[in-house]
Order: sequence, then C-alpha cells, then structure tokens
Amino acid sequence: MKKRYFGKFLMFLMILFFYLPIAFMVIFSFNSSKSLTHFTGFSLQWYERMFNNSAMMESLYTTIIVAVIATIVSTVVGTIAAIGLSKSKKIVREIVLQINDFPIMNPEIVTAIGLMLLFITFGVERGFITMLLAHIAFCIPYVILSVMPKIRSLDPNLADAAMDLGCTPWQALVKVIVPQIMPGIISGALIAFTMSFDDFIISYFVTGGGVKNLSIMVYTMSKRVNPSINAISTLVVAVITVSLIIVNIIPIIKEKRQKQNKTMFKNKKTPIILSFLAIATAITLIAWPKQSQVGKYQGQTLHVYNWGEYTGENVIAAFEKETGAKVIMDLFDSNEQMYIKVANGEPYDILVPSDYMIERLIQEDLVQKLDKSQLNCLDLINEDVKGLPYDKNNDYSIPYFWGTVGIVYDTTKVSEEDLEKEGYNIFRNEKYKGDIYLYDSERDSFMMALKALGYSMNTKDQKELEEAYQWLVDCVTTMKPEIVTDEIIDNMVQQRKALGLIYSGDAAYVMSENENMGFYMPETGTNLWSDAMVIPKNAKNVELAHEFINFVSSFDSAYDNSSYVGYTSPNIEVMDELSTTDFEGINAYTPRSNNKNDEVFVYDEDTRKVISNYWSKVKIAASNAQ
Amino acid sequence: MKKFSQLAVPYIVWSAIMLLLPVLLIAFYSVTDSGNSIVNFKFTFAHFQKFFTDSSFLLILWRSILIAIKTTIICVLIGYPVAYFISRCQERVQNILVLVITLPMWINMLVRTYAWIGILSDGGIAQTILQFFGLGNSSLLYTEEAVLLGMVYNFIPFMILQINTSLSKMDKSLLEASADLGANHFLTFWKVVFPLSLPGVISGISLVFLPAVSSFFIPKLLGGGQFFLIGNVIENQFITVGEWNFGSAISMIMAVIMMLSMYAVRHVEARNSGKRKEKKA
Amino acid sequence: MDQSKKLIQFRNIVKEFDGQIVLKGINLDIYENEFVTLLGPSGCGKTTLLRILGGFLDANEGSILFDNEDIANKPPYQRELNTVFQKYALFPHLNVYQNIAFGLKIKKISKDVIEQKVMRMLKLIGLEGYENKNVTELSGGQQQRIAIARALVNEPQVLLLDEPLGALDLKLRKEMQYELKKIQQEVGITFIYVTHDQEEALTMSDKIVIMKDGEIQQVGSPQDIYNEPVNRYVASFIGESNILPGVMLEDYKVRFDDKDFECVDFGFKTNEKVDIVLRPEDIDIVPVSQGKLTGEVMSVLFKGVWNEAIIETVPGTSVTVNMNVIKNRDVTSNVKSEMISANDFYLDLEDVATLDEKEIIARADAQAWNPETDSYISITSIEYDIEEKVGEYDVVFKTASGLQVTRKIIVVDQRFVKNEKANEAVSAFNFFKTVDEIMESVTLDTDLKTWANAQGWKLSNEDEAVDIYVDYDFDPETIKEGVYKVTFSTTGRELKVHTTDFVEEGQEVGLTFYPEDIHVMEKMVF
Repeated sequence: MKKRYFGKFLMFLMILFFYLPIAFMVIFSFNSSKSLTHFTGFSLQWYERMFNNSAMMESLYTTIIVAVIATIVSTVVGTIAAIGLSKSKKIVREIVLQINDFPIMNPEIVTAIGLMLLFITFGVERGFITMLLAHIAFCIPYVILSVMPKIRSLDPNLADAAMDLGCTPWQALVKVIVPQIMPGIISGALIAFTMSFDDFIISYFVTGGGVKNLSIMVYTMSKRVNPSINAISTLVVAVITVSLIIVNIIPIIKEKRQKQNKTMFKNKKTPIILSFLAIATAITLIAWPKQSQVGKYQGQTLHVYNWGEYTGENVIAAFEKETGAKVIMDLFDSNEQMYIKVANGEPYDILVPSDYMIERLIQEDLVQKLDKSQLNCLDLINEDVKGLPYDKNNDYSIPYFWGTVGIVYDTTKVSEEDLEKEGYNIFRNEKYKGDIYLYDSERDSFMMALKALGYSMNTKDQKELEEAYQWLVDCVTTMKPEIVTDEIIDNMVQQRKALGLIYSGDAAYVMSENENMGFYMPETGTNLWSDAMVIPKNAKNVELAHEFINFVSSFDSAYDNSSYVGYTSPNIEVMDELSTTDFEGINAYTPRSNNKNDEVFVYDEDTRKVISNYWSKVKIAASNAQ
Repeated sequence: MKKFSQLAVPYIVWSAIMLLLPVLLIAFYSVTDSGNSIVNFKFTFAHFQKFFTDSSFLLILWRSILIAIKTTIICVLIGYPVAYFISRCQERVQNILVLVITLPMWINMLVRTYAWIGILSDGGIAQTILQFFGLGNSSLLYTEEAVLLGMVYNFIPFMILQINTSLSKMDKSLLEASADLGANHFLTFWKVVFPLSLPGVISGISLVFLPAVSSFFIPKLLGGGQFFLIGNVIENQFITVGEWNFGSAISMIMAVIMMLSMYAVRHVEARNSGKRKEKKA
Repeated sequence: MDQSKKLIQFRNIVKEFDGQIVLKGINLDIYENEFVTLLGPSGCGKTTLLRILGGFLDANEGSILFDNEDIANKPPYQRELNTVFQKYALFPHLNVYQNIAFGLKIKKISKDVIEQKVMRMLKLIGLEGYENKNVTELSGGQQQRIAIARALVNEPQVLLLDEPLGALDLKLRKEMQYELKKIQQEVGITFIYVTHDQEEALTMSDKIVIMKDGEIQQVGSPQDIYNEPVNRYVASFIGESNILPGVMLEDYKVRFDDKDFECVDFGFKTNEKVDIVLRPEDIDIVPVSQGKLTGEVMSVLFKGVWNEAIIETVPGTSVTVNMNVIKNRDVTSNVKSEMISANDFYLDLEDVATLDEKEIIARADAQAWNPETDSYISITSIEYDIEEKVGEYDVVFKTASGLQVTRKIIVVDQRFVKNEKANEAVSAFNFFKTVDEIMESVTLDTDLKTWANAQGWKLSNEDEAVDIYVDYDFDPETIKEGVYKVTFSTTGRELKVHTTDFVEEGQEVGLTFYPEDIHVMEKMVF
C-alpha cells in the first residue's frame, strides 16, 4: 500500500535525523585536525587528550557516580514513599503529590535556583554532596510518578491475602506488592537515571569546589572548538549503547535458559546495576587520579579559579610535579560570574580577576594582602603593567596577562581607511551590516560605545551612559551583529565575519593562525586591561598560593602560558622573546602604552549596576530584532 | 494498613525541605529587596512591576512562548506520522523502533546539542547539502532556525512516545467496527483513530511546550549571544547581573505560567478520560 | 420450505493459523430472512468463519458468494453486512446518537434522514431519550442494544453477531434472546449468530449449524438437531442425553441392554452397531410392573424445574476377594537398632515372567527402618525362586547388617468376572494386610483397590478402563485379625431421568418411554 512506503520513508528520515549528530560526533572524534567541518584524516589524538585530561575523565566519573547513586537512592526512597502515600490519608497524599510535582512542572532553572538558594541560606558548602542531594531531590518525583499508577491499579486484596497466609506486613510488601509494581519501579529507575545523567542546569547552579559533571564540562568547553568533547561523547554513546543492548538481550537469554531449566538473574534490575557498576569501575580505573606527587607540598591542594582556556598546556602539571601538591582549577566565563561565587564564600586560594574586579574585591575586603617576602617575581614583571591604578603598589595582585581591546578585521574586506576614520563607530557602518561580532561583555561593549561617542569609559555621567546605551541599541537593531564570547576566536580564524570587538591576546592568536587578519586600536582610545592573581581572604593554602604566583610568573611557565593562549605575558623576557618569534609581526601581541586616550577601568558599584541593566536590555533588544 | 502509611513520613519531611522550601525561598526573594542576603527585608512588588512595565521583557517572554509554540507544532506535525507508523508495526518491530528512538535521549542533552553546532556551522555538512540543492548560502548557526532545530531534536522523542503509547493501547475492535460500518482507511483514521489518540497528543504537547519555553542552553549554544530567551534572562540576572531578587521574580512568573498551563492540560485530559470511565449503571 | 433466495454460499472454506487448520473445508448455504446459529465449543472455528464473512480475515482457500457475487476480495467497508461485536466496540469518544449514526454519516446520508432513522432505532431498542448519553456510562445490556442498533440502522442484508450476549447475566441474556429474535422477525433480515450456548441456539434459531474442529457436524432446525442428532457428538452437545451402545436388528427395531425395543428409525444395516439417545425428559417413572426397564434409584437431585434422578437399570459386574488381616510380623534385629517388615502377596500367573525386584518390594510392601530415628534403611538383597506355575514360593528380604525376613509369593490364575452383556470385566486379588496398615489408611477405598490390584475394563477394548467402586462389611476402626470379604463392582447401566415425581434413593422403579423417543445414530468413527 502506498501509505506503507511513505511511512517507511518517513521513518527512515526520522532515524537519519536522530542519528546524524551522533554519527557526526563519532566520526569527527577521529578527525586528525581541530576542524569541525572538514575531515582531514583518521587519528586517535583526541582520545589520547581526553584520557590525559584528568578533569574531563573526572567529570565523566562524577556524572556516572552521581547518576548511579541518585538512581538507586531515589528508586528505593521513591518506591517506599509511593507505597506509603497510597495508604495515607487522601489529603496528605494530595498535598505531597502536589509538592512532588514542583521539580517536574517548574522550569528547570527555577528548581536550580531554588536549590542554590537553599544551600546558601543554610550555609551548606557546595560540592559533590550538594550535587548528589539535588539530583536525588529531582529524581524521586519521577520515580513516584512512575510507580503510583501501578500501585493504584493493584488488587487491594493482594496484601491482605499474603498476610492471611502468614506474611508479616514487611514480607507482604517485599514478596507481593513489590513484584507486582516492578515494571513501574524499573521504568521509574530508568527515567531517574536519564534525568540525572543528562542534567545540566541544576548541577550547574548547585555545584562547587571544582566538582563538575559531564554537562558542565561540555558547556564550559564549548566556547572553543575542542574535539575532545567529541571523543568523550563517543565514549558515552558507546557505553550507553552497549548497556542498552545488554539490558535488552538479557531477557532473551533468560528465556532460552529457562527452557533449559537454568535461571540467570532473579530480576531485571540486577543486570542493569551490574553493568553500570562494571562500567563505573572501568572508568574509575582509567581516570584514577594519578599518584600523588612527591614534593614539599605533598598532600595539599590548591584551589584556583581562573578563566577558561587561560593556562598553558603544561603549567598546572609542572606545578604539581614541582610542589607535590594537587591543583583543582575551576573555570569562569566572566568576572561577574566569578564574583558571585567568591562573594558567597566559595573557598579558593587563587583568583585571576580583571583589573576593575580586583578593585571591587579590594574595596569589599574579599582579598588579602600579599606577603611580598614570599614572592620573587616582582622584578620579572614589565613596568608598564605594574602599579596600575586599581592596585597601586601591587599589594594585592601580581599580573597574569595583559593587553588591550581592539578591533579584529578581515584585511580583505575592511579598508584601513574606514577604521582610521571611524574608530569604534565602524560598528555602526551599514556597509558591514550582518557581518560583525560584538563581544558579550557589558564592560567592553560600553567601553566601545563610550569611546565611540568620545566619552571616558569610566564616566559616571548618567546622560553619557544613556547615550552609550542608545548607541548600542541602535547598533544591535540596525547592524544585526552576532554577540559572542570565545567563539569569536575560531570564527575569525575562519574569516567568518568582517569585524569583531576582541581582546588583543585573542587577536594575536587569530592573526597567528590566519594572515589575512588584522588588529586595530582606535586612536580615540581603548581599554588597557590586565588580569592578575589575587589571594582571597578565605584562602586555605596561602603559602602554596604564593608559590603558585611565583611559579606562574617565572620564565618557563609564563612562556608556556603566553605562547599557548596568545595573550601578552607580563614577564618582560617572555614578551620580548615571543614578540620576535611566535608572534612576530603581530601588533596585537604587544600592547601600546603611549596613547593617552587609553584607559584602565575603574570600579564603581553604581555605574556597574546601571551598565549591567542597560546591557541586559541591549541583549533583549538584539534578540527582539531578530 | 496503618503501618504502610508510615513509610511515607521520611519522604514527606525530605520533600518539605528539598522541594517546598526552595520554592518558598524564591517566592521570598521575589518580593523582598535586600540584595543577596536575608538579614533585613521589606516586602515589595517592585520586581514584578519592573518586569511587567518594561515592554522589552514582555517581548522576550512572548518570543519565548512563540518559539515554544513553533517547536511544539513541528513536533506534532512530524511526530504524529512517525508514531502512527510505529504503532502499525508488529510488536517486535515496534519495540526495536522505540528503542532506536529512545537511545539518543540517553545521551547527554548538552552533548547532542553541541554536535549540531559542528553540523550547522559555516562550511559544515548542513550548509554543503543545502548548497548542493542550490538552496543558498546563508549562515545556519546562530539563527532562529538553528534554535528550533535544536529544540525539536531534543523534544520530539517525548512526543513520539506519548502518541505511540496512546495509539497502540487503542482497542483494535474499534477499527474493525469502523470498517464494518463502511469507513475506509482514511475515514477510520480521521473519525476514530485520531480523536482517540488526542490524549496522547496532549500529554506529548505538555512534555514539549513547557520545557521549551524555559530552556536556556539550547538558545545559547545554537542561537548565539543575541538569542535571548526568558530562560537566558533569568540566568543572566543571577549569574552576571547579580540581581537575585529580580531574577527570582521572573522565575516566579515562569513557574506560575507553567503551572497554569499544566492545569489547563490536565483539565482537558480529565474531561476526555472522564468520558471513558466505565461506570456500571 | 419456500424457495427463499440463497443469500450467502460458503464453498470449501479452508483457514489455517500458525500451522493449524482451523476450518477444514466449510460448505454452507444461508438463505434470506433466516436466523442461523453457528454452534460449537471454543476453538471449533465458528468465530473464524464469521470473521471471514465479515471481511476481517481472509480464507486460505475457498470462496464466499454473496448474492452470487464473490466477495472474498472486498474489504469490510464494501460488504453489505454489519457486525455486532462481542465486546460491543462502541466508540468511546462519541455519544449514543453519534455511535448509531456513524455508518449513516459515512454514507453521506442527509441529516434529517439520519435523525429519523436513528430515532426509530432508539425506539426499537427501547432507549429513547438516551441520545446524548456517554456510551461508557451505560450498563452492559444497554451497550449491547446500542451495538445492535448501530449495526441495524444501516439496513444490511445480513447481520453478523459474535457471541453478543456473553457478558450479560442470565436473566438479561434470556430477555435479550427474545428481543433479538423479535427484531429479526420484525426487520426481516438474515441473522448469523455465533454462540457456544446450545440453549440460546435452540431458542432463537431457524437453523443451527453444529461445528466441531473446523468441520460442520450437522445442519438443521432446532427440532431436527434435538430429535435426530446425527451422531454422538451432536447428541451430547445439544440437550442432556443418555447415550447407550446398541444394535439395529432391523428397520424400526433396536436392541440394547439385552432387550429389544420398537423405534422409529430405519435405513441401517441389519445388526449394525449403533449409538442410541434417550433424552432424560422423555423417560417417565412408573410402577415396576409397567416399566419397559426397571431399576434402582441411585441418587436424586432437586433442580427446581424437575428432579434429576439416576436410575440403575443394569447392575454392574463385581468380583469378591479375601482380605487376610494378620498380626504385625515385623522382625527386629538384636545387633543394630533395625526393624524390617514385609507381607505375603498374590501374583497373577501372567505377571510371573515380568516380575522384578522393584515390584516385589512394592507388592510385599517391604521396608526396613531404624525405629528410634524413624529413618529408612535400604533393603540390600532379595532372594527368591519362582516358576510360572501356580503355587507358593519363598522370598527373603535382607538389609546390609544381615537382618532378614522371609515371606511367601502365591502365584494364582487371576480371578476375574466377565460380563458379556455389559461388555465389561472386573478382576481383583486376595491380599494380606496387617491391622496397623488398615487402621492407618487415610483413604481406605482407594487403598483397598490398590492392595487388591482391582481393575475394571471393557471386553471389547482391553485398554478402556471402567470405574469400579468398593464394598465391604467391616469397621476399619475396630478390625482384628481374620479373613474379610471385599467386593469390587462396576456401575452397570445408569440412566438420567428428569421427573417431577418424587422418588427416593434405593427405591425400585419402572421406566417407560415411547418408540419415537429412541433416537438411533450412526456410530462415530474416530
């Protein structure tokens, strides 16, 4: 019948649709280059990198462990609760089921925030335990939801019949009720596992102390193209597929064996648990943290909170090796994101905020003064980046990277004339409509607008700020920009757009990868920024923190950092070295220091709030303009 | 059975703390105005006012709902035929097909969405195919289409499974009766099968629409920074701007919208299934 | 019969399911305006045949002619018949009116015509006023009627009904049977009705088709089937009956139970072996002298409408044996704590050749045990020397420790009693038992049968067993050593009689019936 063919064709398309991304992922995990669009050859390098990336493996391990424990606990608790509720008074049952519905009905983000507020209010330190508790909390309702209908459809006489024949209530429960509702329990457990394994939003908000699950890992890594994500995804796919096959084959094998009078497993749950335990064990063995290093600081742990993709490949490992300590590094996207965690008391030993944020932290007494007797790196630092307004004597901070903000452009598309004539106003030039990137940072966007209008980027004048806001709104509504963060780096390497607002360090990287790219700093001035290492007041390992500062500032580490990330090193020797080798001819690598229109950010709470609110509205305007 | 009801007590306590309290906290934050701590507070509706008087926020809310509606409609239009096809297969084949559809759901949602970035990015497969068909050269990523694609991809399995369950539970003798009374295959579908499958469709809708309205990482990953939906607004308020009270207010608004929708859905479902409850006269 | 049109013709319908042949070549004609019932037990193929007619199944072979047109390839919605389904299959999302109007709407009949027809239907089934009701809220009987109305309103030529009354309680079922018949006669269409309830078939049908294992056994009017069942199967399916073996001496004369009777059947070969049916309600109870048969009342059951009495007209065959009750002769060992016991037993001459140790232990009931722990000890050796001659032989049972006991095997020629008239025989042996064994027995009757190896069988077919029951005169509780008689007998001939007279157990009565009450059938070939 004609319909049948149509149906089959549709089904085929659907399956294709479902598995296309998965196939893509698997194939490109073996790609020998970094590209996500061209398959250049077969290679296992991403798998190697994945296994060597202990943070990645740990996140996978965390995800699995949390999922398994959460599933087991929530299944047991959920089933017991469901049975109890079915026998409770109606009003009790109704109320509890209503509350039960909250995590299912509410948007995930609401549940996430609620739990975060809960933990903060009660002063519970966020980390593995809170993630686990949160997972259990949102998994149980699914189990209950799955089990209740089965209980409702039970013959009420069953338990009575069992007790009539001599069972205690507990035995009646275990021997009679549970087997009857087993299908509901199993499907509840499976749903719970999926929800936990998959979870991103809730985990994202309630975790702390460097504990990440796979989703968070992917999210933070997704800014830069990183095919290791493909590798780990493929691994996950493989594991899931194998488990599902096992689970589905076992009943078939069981049937065959029963015909021969041998029984294998008592119930379906056992094979599932067994296979997952097996997998978890395998992962554990692979991801087992490397042996504690030997060294002066053996056994100690340094908690670092840094930007993503901001350290050289070997810096951390080298530090661990030299000191014998372990480093746990958390990553943040923005100063504001970092601030929130710190302000809420998350204990870190080292932070790497930006200039204005350091100013704020100092003002709010969240960082401690450095013990300069423990530091040996001050002389290695470039004078141009020492003693900046936010920390005049470097009492609190030692620079980590520095640079400027400017315009990255496609030399084949953009004329230098336009740049020189318009400066930042080129972002309003309709010639380049739809071909620009804006940076998703309120700071830098407002800097751009204010500079374009000829105002100081530190202005407190409300009128000027409003003008800048208007400038930005007009920009997003007429120019249809893409508002990105780190995506700009790879995209400009690929020459996707004509113009973008960019950090000098990123520009240096872009230009080193693609010689058609250029970097321009408007004469009307731009932002001179630096990121520096500080030690929070509640740091636990102050001595080790000082060691870290020294280590990172030293030549080898600074070289590793700068050459890998592309940002300018505060270490004079390193900067000189690299500007003549890796970054030769790339003006972006060497920040200019002679333009009096260049400014350093000054922190002001009120202005910050105003700008913050304005920027939200700019983004909303941009979204609405789509 | 008294003993059994005691089993529920531990959970009652747990759910009060872990489920009820957080919601109360959010509600509390949404009507107070004290920055980020609970030391001193005074009640205010300023945050709600702020949201409702600012047209750009309302516009975002509307856009989020609109996208969710579009996603839902696509899911129904594509999902129904697929579910219908599956339900007409033999049981063994059905089970395999259901497994095939469910398998991707087990793989981390973020990971799956991330995969689309690669496919949709400029120079990627999707664009190559479209160019091959002469359908133009535009950028696929960071567009509303990309976001819709991501949402549909993530949510359509729910729709398919719900509809399939509803279809396969249908009493086969009803189909025979319809044919017996003169209805050909199309009429039988339209007059009997489709109306009876509606509960499945409705529950599928609720599993798609509600998460779609509040999703935030799909728009972020596939839509880019300029794709700001209500979920992103909330995240932004909490993580970047630090306005927890305002963020809580928006969360409350979202929660209320969701709850109202759910009740509407359940009401419709109850009315339908009430028709089918067998009572002995 | 008037020459009504042949509406439906089944020609050689064969249907196979999963390797099993469910319909083995059905040929059947169905006429206009007939109420035809397909009757048979589950699995006989009646529903399958109906579904093939309805178009929901395809036959593997054969053709169906409807109005002389082959409809085998037509889908259900093109056939001019309608079905009333077993579980009604009412559309839950439509109300009563919409359900009934469904078929009409499909045919695109105009709204007012539909309304007329539906209202008429509702009146016919007595559910006026129910138009807007939700079908799922109605009772079984009401749903049933709506299902019928929904089918009938389309004015089909034929209505198929698949066990439609199965889910109703008895009273409602009887009412509906009456209603259905009335509707069929009033509307004037052919009903094809499937059921396993023979009473239902008898009540409503013009014609009954009895089916068994995919084949038609008999087609005929209820009277024909009831009175002239063509074979034993049909006879036992319809109505209650007494079925006896007999011989047709000549036309109109049949012989059974050693007596000749006048009957109304003919056309059999002389002295052909036949089966005879006597309906219980046809037999009357009369004084002994007036009866064509006489017998003893074995049991009486009150059935409300009548009494069901079982009368034994021919006593069974019996055999009596001796039960020798002896003292315990267990032997105790002095060496170890052991005891051993065994009994003498009788053995048939025929069984000597096949005698082995296992059987000896069983027949002698030989055991060895430890009296303190009550645990069994195995008997390691059995010594015996036996010949195929009548006589007494010794057998010695020994345990490992040397404890032993000696008993006798008594070889005899089997005692059995033949009864050629009743075509049966009974046999049993004398046996030995101790007082304890008798007193400990829980089910003495069964045990006696086992101990005596009592059997009953048909002379014509040795493998066919006949039930025997036991009779004895002693009190098992107070039995002492000695010899007692035990009698084993068969039941003989028992006839079921439906009577309104009052009779008592043990009463001697006479039975009488008319020649036309004797129905002679061909013996069924298996």
